[in-house]
Amino acid sequence: MSFKGSLSRVEADLSVSVRKATSIDETAPKRKHVRSCIVYTWDHRSSKAFWNGMRLQPLAGNDIQVFKALITIHKVLQEGHPSVLKDAQTNLNFIESLGRSPTSSSSYSKLIVEYSRFLLRKLHFHKNHPAFNGMFEYEEYISLRTINDPNEGYEAIMDLMNLQDAVEDFQKLVFSALHHGRSNECKISSLVPMIAESYGIYRFIVSMLRAMHATTNDDEALEPLRARFYSQHARLLDFYYDCSTLKYLTSIVTIPKLSQAAPNLFSEEDESGPS
Amino acid sequence: MSKLVRSIKNVASGYTTTQVKVRNATSNDMYGPTILEMEEISQLTYQNYELLEIMDMVDKRLNDKGKNWRHVMKSLVLLDYLLHCGSESVVLWCKDNIYIIKTLREFQYVDETGADHGKSIRIKAKEMTSLLLDDDKLRAERSDKKQW
Repeated sequence: MSFKGSLSRVEADLSVSVRKATSIDETAPKRKHVRSCIVYTWDHRSSKAFWNGMRLQPLAGNDIQVFKALITIHKVLQEGHPSVLKDAQTNLNFIESLGRSPTSSSSYSKLIVEYSRFLLRKLHFHKNHPAFNGMFEYEEYISLRTINDPNEGYEAIMDLMNLQDAVEDFQKLVFSALHHGRSNECKISSLVPMIAESYGIYRFIVSMLRAMHATTNDDEALEPLRARFYSQHARLLDFYYDCSTLKYLTSIVTIPKLSQAAPNLFSEEDESGPS
Repeated sequence: MSKLVRSIKNVASGYTTTQVKVRNATSNDMYGPTILEMEEISQLTYQNYELLEIMDMVDKRLNDKGKNWRHVMKSLVLLDYLLHCGSESVVLWCKDNIYIIKTLREFQYVDETGADHGKSIRIKAKEMTSLLLDDDKLRAERSDKKQW
């Protein structure tokens, strides 16, 4: 039996999408192919075929393809069915191996190493906090739970902030890898999921910190978190500003607008102005 | 011309009258869908069997490729209308399949002349996603149909 014959029709379609998303051209992974991968995981409530498709791609040896694979994986982790995050835990070695594969000569090698490291950290976070989805979308019950257990909440916020720092490190690397006068589309497209990631984390931290301030009444204990939040807010503001100067990026995503001053953590209502 | 081809395709593929209505409303023509077309389809969503056929076709159109961006855009417009004026089942379908709309928020298509046809789709998909996630607003808009 030939290998092709053992795949069902939809799985064959999926593997075409994976192949096209990780093509050899130095462009962004095409949205339509990435979208088919995402939609597949929802249609079938499973991501096994996606991971299989990825593993079967002959990626090694071409840095552009490996980098595009990492972007694609990141997007499917974010937007795909929750089972993607779960199945990813069994594919940690694969993601790690992608990070070991770059040839040392290209401008992508550093980016690949760091991207795979970042994805591993993200997956580590999701393993420890399975209640979060890939985009960190705000779900009320989590913040309620963390209020009941401030220690757990404290830890969750610390972990989120560590992840936010990892985003920050990676995006700096991307900006420093951009070359003048060349099409940087492929590198820039890795910022798209990073913007989504950082904004999701940011909003989650804001609502969680507010909830904790409202219930614990222990300002002193929360002081280190506050200080760290303020500095992250300032750096995030810079990051989004830098992004808004990239025309290619602004044409495909809306870059979130943060207020110049950090939001007030002591009240639910007042969006601006220091406390 | 394209209309003729479509009418042949409709027969050849054995689409039902309901599906033909959806296909016509979400075609590649410059205009449409008209309120009349959308109104007719929204009435049909109150019949279970027709509903499945409508949603099936809308689903196909929403997943169409970039060159057929008009299919995608018009299906979003139609779906938005059905969400407001169609049966409750449309709302349930949309909620179950929200990822189809969500993932269109990054839809991209730039034609040969460099015109970006994706933008209106991205905006529409964003609006509809936030509406679907806001139950109160959706209920309010559904009960006040005069807005349309």
